[in-house]
Amino acid sequence: MLNIFILQCINIYYNIYRKKRVRAYCNIEVKLSIGNVGQLAVDLLVSSTGADRVGYLDDPNLLPCVGNDAYGPLPCGEIALPLERVLYESSSTATTLAQQRSPVAKVLHFFYLYNIADLAASSGKKHVIVLSSLDFQRPQHNLNMSRGPQVYYLSNAEASERDDHCERLGFGRLDEYDSEERCWKYLSSVFEENCKEELTFHSEDELEDIDYYPSLPFAALFSAFKARGLKVTCLLCYCSEGDNIPDAFFLAEAASKLTSLSPDKFHGGGKWQIPYSWKSMYGASPDMSMF
Amino acid sequence: MEDVLTENPPPSRFFQEDLNNFVSPSEPLPSPFILFSNPKPELPLRPSLLIVAISSPSLYVFHSLPSKSLIGSLIIPEVPFSGNTVEPSLQDKTCNIYSLTSSADDKNSILLVSVQLHVSPERSNLVSRLLIGQDIIPERVVILDSVQSRNFRGRLSPDETLAAKLETSSEKEAVTSRVNLDYFPSGSVIDGLSASLLSRCQVKNIRGTLVVSWPEFGSNVIRFVRALLKNIVPSLDVASVNKELEKCSSRKDAWTESDLYT
Repeated sequence: MLNIFILQCINIYYNIYRKKRVRAYCNIEVKLSIGNVGQLAVDLLVSSTGADRVGYLDDPNLLPCVGNDAYGPLPCGEIALPLERVLYESSSTATTLAQQRSPVAKVLHFFYLYNIADLAASSGKKHVIVLSSLDFQRPQHNLNMSRGPQVYYLSNAEASERDDHCERLGFGRLDEYDSEERCWKYLSSVFEENCKEELTFHSEDELEDIDYYPSLPFAALFSAFKARGLKVTCLLCYCSEGDNIPDAFFLAEAASKLTSLSPDKFHGGGKWQIPYSWKSMYGASPDMSMF
Repeated sequence: MEDVLTENPPPSRFFQEDLNNFVSPSEPLPSPFILFSNPKPELPLRPSLLIVAISSPSLYVFHSLPSKSLIGSLIIPEVPFSGNTVEPSLQDKTCNIYSLTSSADDKNSILLVSVQLHVSPERSNLVSRLLIGQDIIPERVVILDSVQSRNFRGRLSPDETLAAKLETSSEKEAVTSRVNLDYFPSGSVIDGLSASLLSRCQVKNIRGTLVVSWPEFGSNVIRFVRALLKNIVPSLDVASVNKELEKCSSRKDAWTESDLYT
């Protein structure tokens, strides 16, 4: 039984409302990012796999929000909270997906990351996959668009910081990751076991273009999980604000390849299922009565 | 005015600084707390029902209710007291807690909370923990708020009154006394204090209902809230709400709420 944990970076919860025992070792999570692509991708995975909600995570560091069930097919009145965990099980894999719907309170960001990493480690997770996105308008040093859109990865699977499995799947390594670069080193040191307090860092005005990647939430989560001894893989794609549904499909497909959650095993008969909540993603249609 | 066809689309539901690990954190604030009146009741309070008014129509209805006793106030240190009056007033920036029964220890007691100040999203979780699960442990919670137009994906007309609900799993499973309203549509969200309160109920397995109404002001919405409360608490005396109802038919003057005028 392959157990994977896919995580979207978010806050730590101390009180978990459990509907069933979660025994998955693989976790898929999302990290707040431009275009909310990670969140959309997890919505797509949850909707398509028919995963069951197994709990809510109650973390004081996460900004509150509630809504009706996002997956449908009808608004059933099952409330959605800022951080939820759903479980997908098959004969060959058990995967939990964690969906985050709102940001972390800034001053409490690192406390949240400590907690979520502790939670994943203590619950027996073996592999964490983080889904996130990168701003296409930011400088990219090695971006090659000649072969079309590309999924990039960041992994601690091997000492060389490369991942053969990801590369066989056609993912490109995020070359902007440099474990010796000051910001990446800072993140690693923050989450080391013997360094609980916040370290002093240079002011925001001193950040340079190269600091963009480690400044992003996925980088902090990657460092937090790595410090807890978990295998962590970040899957990233470049996008801009706008219609990010195609980006969500792109990233969800990458996650499904990595975790063997292939669409032909989905409950919808091999097809991706659009979440019910996406029907109103861009608001109501314009009022035509004025014409 | 920008061209709607070429202007940049609105960002996702966050600020750019939310995507930066290295933003300097703001100075920490003192924690909110509840100040109970003398004699201090035996804690924790265990009311059968806790009703929290956040929307302007619900605050107006609460203020008009007779026979309620002020038993405490939730203090948020960063909110100034200047301009507040000794006797509770709708213009005060306060979060008062009232009892509708003679004794707060009565097993059938009902507590009302009038949230007449803005609680920031960052402080909402702390406030909701104070109101639910620490000094106050209710059996059931009803939260009254307005639809947040910025988070609503449908069409909102200023001339049309609408209301919807979200409820916890334990409320859904209850066989009696449920609020008879349609569910809040999927795809839209509610954030802030009302979301935090309902989330708190869900994780604590407490019966909880969040009712959101639209528009934010107006006599029609006040009548709706009055009728809703009467339905939830049949013994509630709402006759006095009618007397000055027409005074609230227009939008509240924003200048009276400004901190410049105290």
